[in-house]
Amino acid sequence: MKLVINTDPRLLHIVRSVIRYYAQEAGFPEADVDCLAMAINEAASNVIRHAYDNRPDARFSLEVKSFPDRIEFVLEDDGRKVKPEAIRPRSLDDVRPGGLGTYFIRCFMDESSYDSTFTGGNRLRMVKYFSRRVSSSDEGSSQERG
Amino acid sequence: MKVQVRNVDNVSVIDCSGDVDLYSSTDLRGTLLKEMRSGKPNVLVNMTGVSYIDSSGIATLVEGLQLSRETKTRFGLFGLRSNARSVLELARLHTVFAIFDNEKEALEKIATTEPFGGL
Repeated sequence: MKLVINTDPRLLHIVRSVIRYYAQEAGFPEADVDCLAMAINEAASNVIRHAYDNRPDARFSLEVKSFPDRIEFVLEDDGRKVKPEAIRPRSLDDVRPGGLGTYFIRCFMDESSYDSTFTGGNRLRMVKYFSRRVSSSDEGSSQERG
Repeated sequence: MKVQVRNVDNVSVIDCSGDVDLYSSTDLRGTLLKEMRSGKPNVLVNMTGVSYIDSSGIATLVEGLQLSRETKTRFGLFGLRSNARSVLELARLHTVFAIFDNEKEALEKIATTEPFGGL
């Protein structure tokens, strides 16, 4: 599934709804569904704020891929390259506005990384694994968890 | 999201409902900062109707908390749903805000609460 959507913050609720739907369909428990929706909401908010300076008429894409052991999200934009320090999580002891979006993404996702080779604006890949389910089909699996 | 202000005795109660995200947090921010700057001695945010809050909403509340220190306003939250409370706990902010279970408790205690949350 690939969603292309304007960088209008009024549309963030649509992004959350889409993620909730896919996470539920993939079989994630409700608590994880909310966390995934929030993580993607934060990533999309970072695109709007930092890659496009709150410009509402640009576009970004969100691709969702389901695998037997995980769900992957790839967020791509053609905006300004985001400097890691601009979205670095702040220390939780430092009580001030901002700096929590990336922290929430890291809390809720098992993996998240920017693709430094991406020639466009920014490509952020996020992965959430299912809780390990031990079954005969799992034996011999070579899939790795980050 | 809807934001409305009520005055109950000496307390300004900001009723919030719906999702508080990058878009809607600007409404809450404007109302919250206006109430603080207008010299209200006590400001409460009613979050009973808040179904979702993200980092933008949390940042707005933290900004309100910081401004309350400058304006000498007693500031608190009440009626947090479990998801909003979880987000505050995850950000370790649940101890810096004065948080009450409901409006009755908030109105009873806000005037005697230590100003500026737990900071």
